[in-house]
Amino acid sequence: MLDLRNLTKSFGKGDSAVTALHEVSFSIAEGEFFTLLGPSGCGKTTLLRLIAGFEPPSGGQLVLDGKDIAQMPPNRRPVNTVFQNYALFPHMTVAENVGFALGAQGRPKAEIADTVARMLDLVRLSHLAQRKSGELSGGQQQRVALARALAPKPRILLLDEPLSALDMQLRKEMQVELKRLQQETGLTFIFVTHDQEEALTMSDRIAVMNGGRIQQIATPRDLYDQPANRFVAGFIGETNFLSATCAGGQLTLPQAATPVTVEYADGPVTLMVRPEHVVLGTSQPGALTLAATVERLVYFGTDTHVHLHLADGSPLVARVQNGLRGGQPCREGESLTVSLPGEAMRLLPQEAA
Amino acid sequence: MDAEARALQADTRRRWGLALPAVVIITLFSILPLAVVVVYSFLAPGDFGGVRWQFSLEGWFSVLFERDIFDDTVSLSDAHLTILGRSVALSLATTLITLILGVPTAWFIATRPAHQRAFWLFLITIPFWTNLLVRTIAVQEMIRADGVFNRLFLSLGLIDAPIQMMFTNFAVLVGMAYVFLPLMVLPVYAAIERFDFRLAEAGYDLYASRLYCLRKVILPMVRPGIIAGSILVFVPSLGAYVTPRIMGGGKSMMLGNLVEMQFGQGRNWPLGAALALTLTALVVVALVWYTRLTAGGRRG
Repeated sequence: MLDLRNLTKSFGKGDSAVTALHEVSFSIAEGEFFTLLGPSGCGKTTLLRLIAGFEPPSGGQLVLDGKDIAQMPPNRRPVNTVFQNYALFPHMTVAENVGFALGAQGRPKAEIADTVARMLDLVRLSHLAQRKSGELSGGQQQRVALARALAPKPRILLLDEPLSALDMQLRKEMQVELKRLQQETGLTFIFVTHDQEEALTMSDRIAVMNGGRIQQIATPRDLYDQPANRFVAGFIGETNFLSATCAGGQLTLPQAATPVTVEYADGPVTLMVRPEHVVLGTSQPGALTLAATVERLVYFGTDTHVHLHLADGSPLVARVQNGLRGGQPCREGESLTVSLPGEAMRLLPQEAA
Repeated sequence: MDAEARALQADTRRRWGLALPAVVIITLFSILPLAVVVVYSFLAPGDFGGVRWQFSLEGWFSVLFERDIFDDTVSLSDAHLTILGRSVALSLATTLITLILGVPTAWFIATRPAHQRAFWLFLITIPFWTNLLVRTIAVQEMIRADGVFNRLFLSLGLIDAPIQMMFTNFAVLVGMAYVFLPLMVLPVYAAIERFDFRLAEAGYDLYASRLYCLRKVILPMVRPGIIAGSILVFVPSLGAYVTPRIMGGGKSMMLGNLVEMQFGQGRNWPLGAALALTLTALVVVALVWYTRLTAGGRRG
């Protein structure tokens, strides 16, 4: 329903111009929970502001339901935003805030009252309808902002880091709440966040951005299991990277005694393996075995992080699940063998770290 | 008496002690002079100024009425009513003009990049460094018969003879609007500067046109500043003395000039005192109205 075609945005002019978005292209399907994920300054908020209409693109097309809306002002776009700071109108009551868009559209009073009541019911705030927005807690303000943006029935709801101002507990609750709202309304959500965990738990698909470019668009599982490049692998979850060389279907590591068979193009590669897939001791055939020394054990409750270093000093982290009466998986200073199972290893093109 | 009650008493005494300097100052400089004015307004005028210690309502009576010297018939004092009406009308007009000029100016300054605002505010405050008299005479220089504007219009052939602008209500209005404009700009600026423009963006996102945004989001939030500016302009306008004196001469007097006249050549101090209190009453009415307005803004 929404197509971004080579969307580009630069700020400033001439030599001092900064390009915030480089030819971004992707499509979002009806009813999708789509997340833009990336570190601050990656262009995700700029992209959201482009879709909302607060900034005109420097180039490219923004096609909604077959119509290019790139030059349309925000008050004509059937797209509403939940702002990071909520931006509730402090001089209005909760009900007036929620009914604002309908009032601006000149809808009849009865219809506005009806929709406001339904929206407040949806976000479970009916009892606070007559409060001023300043008298609400952070979580309540958040839900008013949601109801306000949902009231005019937009085609797409944009959410700009809406949970970042909330504390941990509330944030988890709101994650569930948001997902429920999205499923109940069947609405298309575009959600911006820098929190990878938030992105993984809520999204249907995630676009990882860095330096104004889309790095990868995939489902949370694919993003975690099959990152397209080193940036995505490092940004989503924790990862070990090892330099290796691929030649004639054989992967050679400077730290490993014997090479393993892989299917990959020849040349220098980066070997990536998640800490939870690193096995202490030897495992099944086909695994890469390495000699390592235990440097430090860090207890995390559900599991223990084993910080190791290999023969040449390069670091490797293994995550071992804690059993019921497990004790420690190994001792600090101990020398042991670790193995990386074949299916856990992922090869990425080598790039400057 | 138990210890607790004694401690309470000591506490009360200490509080009064701490408040004493403030109480003394307010009594000495605010309540006492006002009391003198109130007392004088109920006395009879002395023959050469001052008052005679004799109760009389003549001062208050003369605020609105006059007695014929020959047959003692009572009639409304046209002169006083005109001046009273003119004072209120000119003050309201001054407020309106400073609003029309001041709000866009404040908007302009508040929407400049932060580092430029200090410069613009500096320009607004420069007139405060100059004596009020000098500033008013500068305005006079612009609009008098052979002043800047008349000569300009004459040389352009727009008019055949100089327009008489001095000593009219117009002259007083121009002078007051000029003098009081900064008092409007500054509070309005403060309100706009505090305004979070992300709210306007939110309104714009929610299908509001620019005009609807201005009406429903921006104006309600900068309203306290606009009301404060209006009061800051209206109140001193009502009591203005120097500007109407210079710009209006004897022809376009305002309440302040009338009060001065009673204490000077009129030698009617009780009337002067009563007129001054009338002026104070008008200001109080304006302030009460202001409080109502702002309180209403907070409610709905």
